Amino acid sequence: MFGWEFPPVINGGLGVACLGLCKALAPMVNLKMVIPKSNPEYAVNYMELIGLNSVDISTLKKKTSKKAFKKFSSLNYFDLALSPYINFTGEAEINKIQHEVYTSDLKQFEINELYGSDIIRKVLEFSKISVKLSATKQFDIIHAHDWMTFLPGMEIKTATGKPLVLHVHSLEYDRSGPENKSWVYQLEKRAMEYADAIIPVSNYTGSIIENIYGISKSKIFPVHNGIEPVNHSQLKRITSEKIVIFFGRITRQKGPEFYFEAAKKVLQHYPDVRFVLAGTGDLMRGIMEKAAEARIGHKFHTTGFLTKEKINDLLAVADVYVMPSVSEPFGLSAIEAVQYGIPTILSKQSGASEVIHGTLTMDFWDVNKMANYIISLLEYPTLRKELVDTAFVDLKKINWTSTAKKVLKVYDKLVC
Amino acid sequence: MPSVCFYFQVHQPYRLKEYNFFDIGHDHFYENEKLNREVMNKVADKCYIPTNKMMLELIKKHKGKFRISYSISGTALEQFEKYRPDVLESFVALSKTGCVEFLSETYYHSLSFIYDKKEFKRQVEKHRDLIKKYFKQSPTVFRNTELIYNNEIAKTIEDMGYKAIVCEGVDRILENRSPNFIYRSPNCHSLKTLLKNYRLSDDIAFRFSDPNWTEHPLSATKFAGWLHSIAGNGELINLFMDYETFGEHQWESSGIFDFLSQLPTEILSHKDFDFKTVSEVAEKYPIRDDYDAHDLTSWADTERDLSAWLGNSMQNEAIERIYSFKERVLATEREDMLDTWAKLLTSDHFYYMCTKFWADGDVHKYFSPYQSPYDAYIYFMNVLTDMEYVLSELLKQKKMPNAKKNTAVDSLDINALTVAADTNELVTNIAVATTNAASSANLKEEVLNKVKSIAKRVSTKKSITKSSTKKVISKEASEKKKTASKSNVKSANKGKKIAANKKTTKPASKKKP
Repeated sequence: MFGWEFPPVINGGLGVACLGLCKALAPMVNLKMVIPKSNPEYAVNYMELIGLNSVDISTLKKKTSKKAFKKFSSLNYFDLALSPYINFTGEAEINKIQHEVYTSDLKQFEINELYGSDIIRKVLEFSKISVKLSATKQFDIIHAHDWMTFLPGMEIKTATGKPLVLHVHSLEYDRSGPENKSWVYQLEKRAMEYADAIIPVSNYTGSIIENIYGISKSKIFPVHNGIEPVNHSQLKRITSEKIVIFFGRITRQKGPEFYFEAAKKVLQHYPDVRFVLAGTGDLMRGIMEKAAEARIGHKFHTTGFLTKEKINDLLAVADVYVMPSVSEPFGLSAIEAVQYGIPTILSKQSGASEVIHGTLTMDFWDVNKMANYIISLLEYPTLRKELVDTAFVDLKKINWTSTAKKVLKVYDKLVC
Repeated sequence: MPSVCFYFQVHQPYRLKEYNFFDIGHDHFYENEKLNREVMNKVADKCYIPTNKMMLELIKKHKGKFRISYSISGTALEQFEKYRPDVLESFVALSKTGCVEFLSETYYHSLSFIYDKKEFKRQVEKHRDLIKKYFKQSPTVFRNTELIYNNEIAKTIEDMGYKAIVCEGVDRILENRSPNFIYRSPNCHSLKTLLKNYRLSDDIAFRFSDPNWTEHPLSATKFAGWLHSIAGNGELINLFMDYETFGEHQWESSGIFDFLSQLPTEILSHKDFDFKTVSEVAEKYPIRDDYDAHDLTSWADTERDLSAWLGNSMQNEAIERIYSFKERVLATEREDMLDTWAKLLTSDHFYYMCTKFWADGDVHKYFSPYQSPYDAYIYFMNVLTDMEYVLSELLKQKKMPNAKKNTAVDSLDINALTVAADTNELVTNIAVATTNAASSANLKEEVLNKVKSIAKRVSTKKSITKSSTKKVISKEASEKKKTASKSNVKSANKGKKIAANKKTTKPASKKKP
């Protein structure tokens, strides 16, 4: 199995999901997880966790099998475009990096930021070392999480003929929108065409893979994520006013502008409420300026980046959670809100709304409906109670063990 | 000589529009006219028109031997008249054959027996009048909404002078006895209880087109054979079902009409069998045993209880709230308000809020015009909030001296609004009503007095007001500065800011409307 984020180095849902899945899957199969950087504190029972930063390169050097690696690494039909994750400099640049990585000797793998400006180089280096490493290991299935690890997945499949499973937590389509056909998009598409099975984290993402990426439905097996139980933090309310929250990256994908528009609408009719926009991202400043312009700055709070503890404090006092994502493969934070007994409003363009029935859903752009839902939840305590009760029933069905079992079924299809 | 007794339920509710928070206080017309018309047209074309035609043919063909009963809710009859008079005419044609009987029920297809017995009786009377008007019949058999039944209801119905009542034949009350006899509630004297044979009824109503059913496809011959096997072991077979079974629940392509057209002939092929209407079986067959129903039962779902309408707190709150309006509605002494209110008592509104199947994720079992049970609740509760506002406005006007002579008040007529088809027209109506009201001399005086008294108070506090206005302005200015400065703060500090913000910002003084 190949992952990019893994605790403690996490950026979003990917690392959390990989840890959850590994923990549940490890007792069921012989699991080896390869990641860029490992930390002994996050070891998982029954699982071999390999951080490439701690792999001794000299032992791998002898096992050279360059020919398989070259097959995909020298793809240079990729078009380039900007991505919110990474700033690409240009096609020539990428080709140059590719050339450098492939022709140079194996070097000790080092990485500081997972999504730094040198991510392409790191992904290629990670890929190169992973392929060598795989030659020293026994395995039956190759399982790769998100595009950063799709390259080694493809290379190893070519070298060994073992079936390749791609786990899709997020797509370039989600992050950058439907117009974007960047290098990453091309990589995703190529990898999914080559894979034996694809596990998207929701039916929603499955349908994008089928309809946007044009992948055959017959090899798409959606499996919803699980979630770890939480300890609630207790925080005293500071104000008697109701609190509506949004948390996540303040980027186009998460739909913060729609949240702001709904807040504005609510405040025109229903002043006893405060809105919190927690997180950081490229759209934050613009929204803050709009709030000031609309003279609702005193009711619309931006917090910047919040640590996990701060998020939990926020959840402890929130009355309504809103996730208006434009495209959300799963939406772990929505499930976290449910764990805190907060009634939720989710966009229909999200995987979370497939597993939580005790929720209110609208299209991400339907600001009027969003505003109505927010007011309804503040006005009708019975509605809150019914939603939360139903969502708790839903929550009981969401756990990593059942997720792991479904993943195992996909493996069975490929190995037998 | 066993009798087959068909009773068909015909009902259409007035569905509400997606009435959102921003409509409250502005829009006093709650029905989704477009949807109601569409549904009526669809069901009329698929079910009512073709099935009534077939029933009429069958009655003629069998020369009085094929006899059936209907219960049609008042809200359905109203909508026939409004949207599809041809459907109403076809029912009138059926009633003239002498082979068709109509039952009594609550006009608004409501759960009023449980919440308000006086309202219940009013609705039954209102429904009787309508049946008399259209079909020239005075029903002697009663059917309660969704076949909701217990001993207490039976007693009330007996006291109201009915000969019989229909209900579900619930296994846990029958305790292995057959539903194919006439029973009686232990607290009743002569009222006959007709029990639905749910196995045979549901074979047609629910299983007919189910390809996974072992008896699929069901032929008229086969079904008649099952009925015939009851000979000697029962006196009547009550086949009660929604009329929409024909063509709407079971599509024409399932062969349901062919089945129906052959069924009378097949059943009558056994010389001991005949068809009777509900009052005819009640007349002919004696009471054989007691049927002791303490708890309320219904014909819904596998539970046969009321959980589909009163199973969660949203449903209970909504229904209690609408019934709590009754005194205020009556106090307005307006027929149109009473009608608007009573339409909101229709059981379907609460059924749409049912979360039983929703929580299982079984969305397919969920029949509703709304996206979710939560939406159904939100729209209904928003409507009630508006209605409460309208009621308080009407009562306020009523209290005014000479209110009755005030034509302007009368023109704030929500009945006038309810007949208007077009929303633009509604807006104009409201506008006209409001202007009229404002121009009325009485109102003018009242407003003038108010203004004067306010002016008095204001003048005494003039100095205070002035200074406080200033304060407000300066506060706003400082808020603005704060907001502006926020965007310059480095993101590193932002984690702490939320708590700080909460402390520095004053809680809003303005209360919600």
